[in-house]
Amino acid sequence: MRLAIPHQQRLPLAIAALGFLFLGLFLLYPLFNVFSASVLDGEGEKFTFANYVKILGRPFYRGAVVNTLAIGLAATITTILVAVPLAFALARLPVPGKAAIIALAAMPLVLPSFVSAYAIVLLLGRAGVVTQWLQSWGIGFGSIYGAGGIVLVYTLTLYPYVLLPTMAAFKAVDVSVEEAAQSLGSSPRRTLWTVTLPIVIPAILAGGLLVFIETLENFGVPFVLAEDMPIFAVEAFKLFVGETAPNPSSAGVLGVLLIAMTSLVLLIQRRFLASRRFATGARAAPPILRVGLGLRVAASVYCWLVVLLALVPFFAIVVLSFMEFRGPVLHPNFSLANFAALFERSMRPLLNTLLFATLAAIGVTLVGVPIAYVVTRLRSGLASLLDVVATLPFAVAGTVLAIGFVVSFNSGWLILTGGPLIMVLVYTVRKVPFAVRSSSAILHQIDPSLEEASISLGRSPLQTFGRILVPLMLGGILSGFVLTWVTIASELSATVVLYSGQWRTLTVVMFQALEGGGGGIATAAASTLIIVTLVPITLLYRLVRRYELAT
Amino acid sequence: MFGTVRAVDGVDLAVGDGEFFTLLGPSGCGKTTLLRMIAGFCELDAGEIKFGDRRIDRLPAHTRDIGMVFQNYAVFPNLTVAGNVAYGLKARRVSGAELARRVEEALGLVQLAGYGERWPHQLSGGQLQRVAIARALVIRPQVLLFDEPLSNLDARLRVSMRSEIRDLQKSLGITAIYVTHDQEEAMSVSDRIALMQSGRLEQVGPPAEIYRNPTSRFAAEFMGTTNLVEARALGGDRAGLVSLRPEALRLAADAPADWPQVGGKVAHVEVLGPITRFDVRLADGSLLKVATLDAPHLTPAPGAEVTLAYDPARITVLP
Repeated sequence: MRLAIPHQQRLPLAIAALGFLFLGLFLLYPLFNVFSASVLDGEGEKFTFANYVKILGRPFYRGAVVNTLAIGLAATITTILVAVPLAFALARLPVPGKAAIIALAAMPLVLPSFVSAYAIVLLLGRAGVVTQWLQSWGIGFGSIYGAGGIVLVYTLTLYPYVLLPTMAAFKAVDVSVEEAAQSLGSSPRRTLWTVTLPIVIPAILAGGLLVFIETLENFGVPFVLAEDMPIFAVEAFKLFVGETAPNPSSAGVLGVLLIAMTSLVLLIQRRFLASRRFATGARAAPPILRVGLGLRVAASVYCWLVVLLALVPFFAIVVLSFMEFRGPVLHPNFSLANFAALFERSMRPLLNTLLFATLAAIGVTLVGVPIAYVVTRLRSGLASLLDVVATLPFAVAGTVLAIGFVVSFNSGWLILTGGPLIMVLVYTVRKVPFAVRSSSAILHQIDPSLEEASISLGRSPLQTFGRILVPLMLGGILSGFVLTWVTIASELSATVVLYSGQWRTLTVVMFQALEGGGGGIATAAASTLIIVTLVPITLLYRLVRRYELAT
Repeated sequence: MFGTVRAVDGVDLAVGDGEFFTLLGPSGCGKTTLLRMIAGFCELDAGEIKFGDRRIDRLPAHTRDIGMVFQNYAVFPNLTVAGNVAYGLKARRVSGAELARRVEEALGLVQLAGYGERWPHQLSGGQLQRVAIARALVIRPQVLLFDEPLSNLDARLRVSMRSEIRDLQKSLGITAIYVTHDQEEAMSVSDRIALMQSGRLEQVGPPAEIYRNPTSRFAAEFMGTTNLVEARALGGDRAGLVSLRPEALRLAADAPADWPQVGGKVAHVEVLGPITRFDVRLADGSLLKVATLDAPHLTPAPGAEVTLAYDPARITVLP
């Protein structure tokens, strides 16, 4: 055996080394520090399990575990109940305006969920517009605060996670399997229950698990709606901000527990779902079913209703941002006063949001695309390990990663706290899994023989990467960039831990206005955020459409 | 150029300058691995590969000066036809008028003159493979490697493309190493064939020699159809296995009088057009496959008792 590294593996191995270096320093090291904070005493000197005993000994935090899991489970079930019929209708029933419905249905994925939560408060809260209007008619309803409201907002904002994969799965069902069932004497209804649904169940569960993990990690929605109800991500933040001892042991404990919960869910997913794939390899999407007028109308109304209902809160925020707030009470005097108040103070939050999102999206692309290259092209255990490490941020709540960064980089040889770089780095690390996933999906579509052809024609592996792979991936990289950009622009959970002084973002302004009750500025910031999100998405959508038309 | 290859499992081969050399064998026999070792996409654990006196097996793939044609064409979809053909030239810092001239010349060689501005998605499979061949030829490589280049094309196109590839290689005088699992294709294009099985060489030689004088049972069976029979079943006095090609058998009525004869019963008849195939069951139960040119008055009926004669010179005794 030769000890020298084979030529064709040098580039992937070099990238893997850089990838491990980056993720080691900015992911594993901060997480290790969260863990060590949780097992050291208040001075950070002695090893102890007392923190765990202390936290788990208090009913308040045990309640937080139960609440978080129960709300997550409930939201997962409701999203599945809402999204699966929607997916079926969009894949198999004659519904008018499908393209528009699908485009609108994807919107909640990029719009900030805590804005939706805030809109729900403004509409249905104690002093809400709808609440007061109904009260004037003598109609009352239950409180929107607490578990019910949180599950509602999660359902409205997270249902696309189930809808999109399930719709794809319904479209991938080979129609001849259904025809086989019917030729064996099964009625269409029985075929749906015994053949079609079982085939798409893995897709439903995969989407459902994404929803579950999102709810565990979400900070903004419970922050707005939970009130006194303890929720994990919020309590970790409060403990960290409130902790006075040098070692943030209590926040560390909550962080470790939160990571443990999400990792467990991810492990379950890998273990049970990875082996269950019932792809039937359909060559064409199954035909639209012929159904009666009644079902057609019902399906159409349902589709449009769900999609629009999910967007109502965002629409409402934009409208409300032009209204006058006197304390918590709204007055229908339309003006730009709220925006003036927001931007008169400073343009910096808006500029910071744009700057950070751009820098972090560049960072995510530069880290994620090469890692995806290694993961798809290098056949070795090292590549699988890199894949696992690069997926890890998905299991780490933003709050927890941010706490790890503060603990790791507030002293010593690398001090980042108080500056803008720490925020850009945390955003980058958080979004790396998404870039790796989407880039690997594209790379799997690119035949490796294209690279071999380029190399055999005299281009080195590095030149081949730049001249063949990057141009071929460009469309995918660009849409990935835009999606990353917009989700970073509305990032809240890590931002609230990390921001400082002049480096506040729009989400921080909104967060502070919520705490201080400044409804006008909060809605103006939320509206600005929605516009900042929608403009690039619309541009991307039009670009993709034009590209599809051209080819 | 003279290349020595020692790879996969005790493989020792020398390919002559300008030779069309084919690696032939069933899937999994190691022929593609061997080709990819020459190209630089697979590592050697031991042994060496030389182009002439220059040892190349430790060079990175992109410095080996090889033209390779892939099974799935591997035409860059983001470049035009001309861009594809120019790709290797640009890597060699050829530019300007010479670049344009050589690209156009290469496209002319593969019957694609004037196609330079087209995009790959506008071309058929056969045209894509021509682009891939032009792209590999234009850099005037020391050796051209073909990895089952015709297997994605339909049967008719395969036949015409293979003779075109052979003519092109001969007129340019570039050494070619060609991988295929199709023995007919291998026989039609090759100067010599290396028949491989399980990573080892079975037999190396000109196509006709391997066909007529297979040195092993595998070689006899893989190169076309044959009858593997006990010598005694044919009435001889030797023991052991012999190979007798179906076309070396005829009905006795149609054969020279001095050919040995054997009797049996027709089990199955296929009239395929130019030739007729039929199976004859001998007294000991073994089955002989016979192929004759179409002759209406000599076509036997299933179930008929027939007497066959065979050319004794075309019996190959297998070890």
